[in-house]
Amino acid sequence: MDKSKVIDAQNLFSVDPEQEWIAKAKQGDQQAFHEIYNSYHRRIYALCWRMLSDKDSAEDVCQEVFVQLWQKISNFRGESKFSTWLHSVATNIVLGHIRKHKNWLGRVFSIEDQTIPDMAVEMSTQTPDLSELDKQIMRLPERARLVFVLFAVEGYRHEEISKMLGMAVGSSKSQYHRAKGLLREWVSEN
Amino acid sequence: MNNKMSEQDLFKKVGELPTEMVPERDLWLGIERAIQGKQQSDIVSNSPKKILPMAWAASVVAAVLVTWLSFSPSPQISQPSVNLVAEMRQNFNQQKQAMLVNFGQPQISQLPKEMQEQLAQLASARQSIETALLSDVNNSDLLNLLRWTQKQELELIKQLYSPQWQSI
Repeated sequence: MDKSKVIDAQNLFSVDPEQEWIAKAKQGDQQAFHEIYNSYHRRIYALCWRMLSDKDSAEDVCQEVFVQLWQKISNFRGESKFSTWLHSVATNIVLGHIRKHKNWLGRVFSIEDQTIPDMAVEMSTQTPDLSELDKQIMRLPERARLVFVLFAVEGYRHEEISKMLGMAVGSSKSQYHRAKGLLREWVSEN
Repeated sequence: MNNKMSEQDLFKKVGELPTEMVPERDLWLGIERAIQGKQQSDIVSNSPKKILPMAWAASVVAAVLVTWLSFSPSPQISQPSVNLVAEMRQNFNQQKQAMLVNFGQPQISQLPKEMQEQLAQLASARQSIETALLSDVNNSDLLNLLRWTQKQELELIKQLYSPQWQSI
């Protein structure tokens, strides 16, 4: 018997558990929603941490993402991959959090353009197994870090990033260039 | 400065970045609490929103009435005011009847239990005011309270039987 045909048939009739969890979660099934959480929370947490460069905020925002996901999951129509949709929901929530928590001092003195001292990153991350590159990403100035994470790690295009961050496409590119330069310098220093 | 990492090496390192990180605390507990709380508040907010002010109104009427009855002056009977109360009652009953006919003579038992209770509370408050007026017919505050309670009861009937709630 042709093995490839057997595999095709198996794929055809096997139910993707993720689709089942999503369908059930849409109906209000918390157990199914817990399965979705178990599958994705580490990835969403990584996104939150890289964008926020603060462990505690990342944990809080990651929770917020899943609370909002529970409320919005019926909006997922299956037009894209669930993971892609979830990442975009999470990215918007993180950016909303950053906007909401930017204090007047940050706005006036443009703290978002300053690099974060290495020691401050050590204190805020406090995780020995964090990769060297991650530690340096977290030292980047806020705007450069956000652009770098969204472009290089999350795979968004500059056009998309410019809309998300409310900046010109050219600014997004130059922030990315700046981030790359700083990282190339810092990582090789260590 | 010459030992700057090459762009290719940087991209290689980016590609090696872990896609997952493990949070230190159990985040699910907080999420579960939040979504359960949300479900509870949804249940409350899905029930007719305008009923809550009505419940509040019925409570106010009841409280004012209890206070009034406790401190009411000695009874004075005045025939013209008794007629006024009777007239107000008659007007109210006519309006209520017309409204119910308009809504197809619905049965109160068809309404959800909490709505039935709100309606019964307002009707009971109205009847108590009418009884109080029998012993103090000239009291303008009580007359105003009766007028206001009747109005609230008619409003509630209108809201309960309007088409928007008939699908519940």
